[in-house]
Amino acid sequence: MIENRDYTHAEFMIVAMARQLEDAQNVFMGVASNLPFFAIWLAKRLYNPDLVWLNISGRINPEPSSPPKSTVHFQLAREGSASLTLAEIFDMAARGELDVSFLSGVQIDKYGNFNLSHISENGRLKVQFTGGAGSALICPNTRRVIIWRTRHDKRTFVDKCSKITASGNIYRVVTPKAVFRKEKLRLVLDSIHPFTTLKEVKENTGFPVRSAPSTPEPTSEELSLLRDFDRENIREIEF
Amino acid sequence: MGGLLLQRIPAAFARELARQRKKHLKVMKTAANYDFDLLCFAECVDEVAAGFVSFEAEFGFAPNFRRSVENGNVTFEEHSCYTVISALRAAAFGVPFMPVANLGESHIKDKFKRVSNPYGREKVLAVPAIEPDWAVLHVQKADEEGNAVIYGSHFEDVIMARAAKKIVLTAEKIVLSQEIKDEAQLAVIPGFKVEAVVEVPNGAAPGSCYPYYDYSPELVRRYLSLIDFEGLCQYLEHNNP
Repeated sequence: MIENRDYTHAEFMIVAMARQLEDAQNVFMGVASNLPFFAIWLAKRLYNPDLVWLNISGRINPEPSSPPKSTVHFQLAREGSASLTLAEIFDMAARGELDVSFLSGVQIDKYGNFNLSHISENGRLKVQFTGGAGSALICPNTRRVIIWRTRHDKRTFVDKCSKITASGNIYRVVTPKAVFRKEKLRLVLDSIHPFTTLKEVKENTGFPVRSAPSTPEPTSEELSLLRDFDRENIREIEF
Repeated sequence: MGGLLLQRIPAAFARELARQRKKHLKVMKTAANYDFDLLCFAECVDEVAAGFVSFEAEFGFAPNFRRSVENGNVTFEEHSCYTVISALRAAAFGVPFMPVANLGESHIKDKFKRVSNPYGREKVLAVPAIEPDWAVLHVQKADEEGNAVIYGSHFEDVIMARAAKKIVLTAEKIVLSQEIKDEAQLAVIPGFKVEAVVEVPNGAAPGSCYPYYDYSPELVRRYLSLIDFEGLCQYLEHNNP
């Protein structure tokens, strides 16, 4: 739990992301996407039952009875309404048919570009990251991309990425401290979480930010739904 | 190599490649972890082509892949998952390249040339065909001819089977042909391109093979706890994951 609050950072981020899906037609989540998994699940329960949920397994609208630790787990391929192959889901992205996608980056810069490739110094590879999976295609071709990142510091939020793995239609960036949106090609603060301050966000962001309203807190209904579904606290796995 | 991350991967086949000290392999898949990490660890591969090489949040990054690329022993041809698929599709379709949609400012686009749309004015990225010598796939069931059934998600297995020159299958079970015929609509791998089919129960472990078994967090951690080449050799000798 966050000090003096009845929720955790993971829960706060999940709810903040779920609320972004109220008017979404469809949403895609990829590999290693635990927080988006819970956000989509919650959005379908509370705000948007018709939301079409796309994932790597290819099965549309999975109905997992409990949350998997892997977001490519075969549990997601059970009890869905229809099947596509993974290639066909990427084809949907290429055709511009994805409304919302969740992506993440190790480095995220003031333009909303992100790096999941590597960091080099003087032309020599210093750190190899995981690779961006589908993000190079998905980011510029989805209508609204939501980036989530469980770390908010100056190593993560940089002035300029040392390598651009993906760029494109950034809609929101959700962190444990704040929410950004993209305005005139730059990331600006959309809201600051109630348990942090503008000063703290400034000190942990590698580009200039200005004040913003407070992010609304999760409701007890949102929290209890999540906690009932996830009795093993898998939602905390990214922290 | 078939499957994706820890789902229905040819893990036993990867261990056998390592045991036989195969060298200079080039491996590709959209998103990989255990099999590619192990092949890097065992110094079997020169090149990895993929969109993503890592475990997920439960286990963290793929340490041996990462180290091998950082110290220059392995070349990482970084793709987007879609450009892996496009390269395989071009091979499967018998054409030299596949045009693909806009990749924005991604550095991955710099690997590829652009061609003019002969029917319009714009330029389109062209991903060159990759025709693998082998597709190595782990399936639930195959007959002696290599006709094979896949249950659950196919990931890129079918595209790989179409794109490759030849196919090697490991199968949870080798069954009578009649059993495959009874499920012919699920038999997405026809036997005529299959060079070898080997019965390997638990062949995807420590990964999962729907609907028979889930991945084993204990076995994945056991693999990730190996710290040196000697440890890896002992791990491989026991011929279990």
